[in-house]
Amino acid sequence: MILLENTLVTVISLSTPLIIAVIGETISEKGGVINLSAEGTIMICALFGFIGAYETDFAVVGFLCAMVLGAGISFFISYCDINLRMDQIAVGFVLTILCINLSNFLGQDYVRINGPLITKFSIPFLSDIPFFGSVLFNHSLITYLSIVLIPLSWLFLNKTSYGLAIRASGENPSSASSRGINVKRMRLLSCVMGGSLLGLAGASFSLYTKYGWSEGHTTNYGWIVLAIVIFGGWNPFRAAVGAYSFGLLQVLAIKAQSVTLALSQILPLLPFPLMIFILIFIQYINRDEIKNVPKWIVAILGGNQPQSLGKKLPEEIK
Amino acid sequence: MLNLNNLLLQVIRLLLTFVIIFLTLIIFGVSPFDVFESILYGSLGSYSKFIRTLIVWTPLCLSALALIYTFSAGMWNIGIEGQIIMGAVGATFVARSFLGDDLISPYLQILMAMFFGGFWGLICAILKIKGKVHEIFSGLGLDFVASGIVIYLIIGPWKRAGIASTSGTDIFHKASWVPTVGDSNFPIFLIILVLFLYIFSLIIFRYTSLGIRLKATGINTFATNRFNFSSEKYIVFSFLIAGAIAGIAGFSQSSGAYHKLVPSVSGGFGFLSILIVLICSRNIYFTFIVSFLFAALIVGGSQLQIKLGLDHSLIGIIQATFVLSWLVLQKIEIEKITYKQISKMFAK
Repeated sequence: MILLENTLVTVISLSTPLIIAVIGETISEKGGVINLSAEGTIMICALFGFIGAYETDFAVVGFLCAMVLGAGISFFISYCDINLRMDQIAVGFVLTILCINLSNFLGQDYVRINGPLITKFSIPFLSDIPFFGSVLFNHSLITYLSIVLIPLSWLFLNKTSYGLAIRASGENPSSASSRGINVKRMRLLSCVMGGSLLGLAGASFSLYTKYGWSEGHTTNYGWIVLAIVIFGGWNPFRAAVGAYSFGLLQVLAIKAQSVTLALSQILPLLPFPLMIFILIFIQYINRDEIKNVPKWIVAILGGNQPQSLGKKLPEEIK
Repeated sequence: MLNLNNLLLQVIRLLLTFVIIFLTLIIFGVSPFDVFESILYGSLGSYSKFIRTLIVWTPLCLSALALIYTFSAGMWNIGIEGQIIMGAVGATFVARSFLGDDLISPYLQILMAMFFGGFWGLICAILKIKGKVHEIFSGLGLDFVASGIVIYLIIGPWKRAGIASTSGTDIFHKASWVPTVGDSNFPIFLIILVLFLYIFSLIIFRYTSLGIRLKATGINTFATNRFNFSSEKYIVFSFLIAGAIAGIAGFSQSSGAYHKLVPSVSGGFGFLSILIVLICSRNIYFTFIVSFLFAALIVGGSQLQIKLGLDHSLIGIIQATFVLSWLVLQKIEIEKITYKQISKMFAK
């Protein structure tokens, strides 16, 4: 029981940045923009979050710095996509390479030094509940935020008029536009919201989960985020399940290190083949080529890709 | 055909790009002239440095050439990294077999590398056509699957005698290395291969219906189906040939640069070559030249640490800034801005 408890606590705190990043990327992709710069954004926001917190001695400042930077990067992508009509994938890809190198170059003075640390904050009374108290209510504030974000983002996307407008612009910009939705603004809004969450995720890497800064501090996490978003079928709840499963995978990999070296190196790569399988599965279900798929499997694995994901806005939208 | 006005605008754009790079370097408190001097010296300063540049250049320009095929078919081949890695695995497979000490080993390695790389590209194409999986996601996934395979091989079946570590396999037998001229390390074999493939591709894109149909597939998939040829066939072809050429790049990395299989065998050259092709907008001549410039930047960049005490990631910053500002400037109508500003200046 104690082993299970400890594992769950580790998984939840280890997955904090991933949850935030996955939700951010989901919002962005719902609006139709693949933020391919996720890898670079998380990396450089991790650095600037750390610098902000280190120079001012307030962790909050670090988180704010990272969010502003993440929002700025995604604003640049959506500006290039919407106003300059450039390929969003090209811009995102180049920004990834740029941000990774920038973070390596600018972060040299901050490698492996100590800065402000977020402490644990047990919620009174609730944390006294046996098992659940220590698993759920004995974390840092950023972890609580990540847990709260899951239902909040679902409500935002599915139950608010802004969420509806964002989803409509991601599915079919032309008809959304003729329904009177300002598609350009919605695309910008969703991309910048997603970007600021990616920034927050970066900062929670360097200020909480993988405390500190070193070269290539968050390598591959951005790509994993892209995979988990698909695994989650563009649904925050399922994406969160994906992120927690990846957290579990990481814990297993650390445990396996003492047994076999190969397994511990390969386990963290598991999300990528899974992502491909899910994508194939989604397409086959949507084309009704496989009959008699049990409903619960569809509910777990299915999902709807936003139809205009990664495409340019049609010319006629002003 | 040559529009002088257009050419002038492109030259102005290029100059503006360099101004942006210079300004970026100045913001970082680095003298641009010092940086470019040491890069020039570090990449072309001596014969051995020139050869190092060539060894970096071959995989870069090969993978850039591979990308021209997929970009022509309108596909984003992010899976290029995985194709390079699998090419290297194929080459290592031959080099570690009983043929490894034979003189024909390099030639068999190329065939095997093309086969492995092409297979990896084919998976991407089949997923695209049969499964309608966006090629970015499948490519990204296959990249990581390939690196997982390499790590498994290096730690598992192909581990160094005695110890299992992630530092790579045993060094290949000398006969499996890329053939060079006499005692010098000049990779004549690779250079001939590159030239051959470039001329081959030029002919395909210029003079064959294959090239035209490939481009037509990239421009408008629906129209190609009206013209009675299956664009799917050309997408498969583009991925197959791109994978095969990227496989050769992987061979050049494993048998030319490292002489063994290492986990990071692709060296990030796949992603870098995407940047190159983005700048060159699929022009084969430009790709040839720009990939050399990038290789010179990489090799010269190792000098920065020694001479100026700067991290080599500065090179990545220069490359990415170059591509980004070039792409953005392409979309900005410079002539309109300048006319406005000139009229404003006269108004004052």
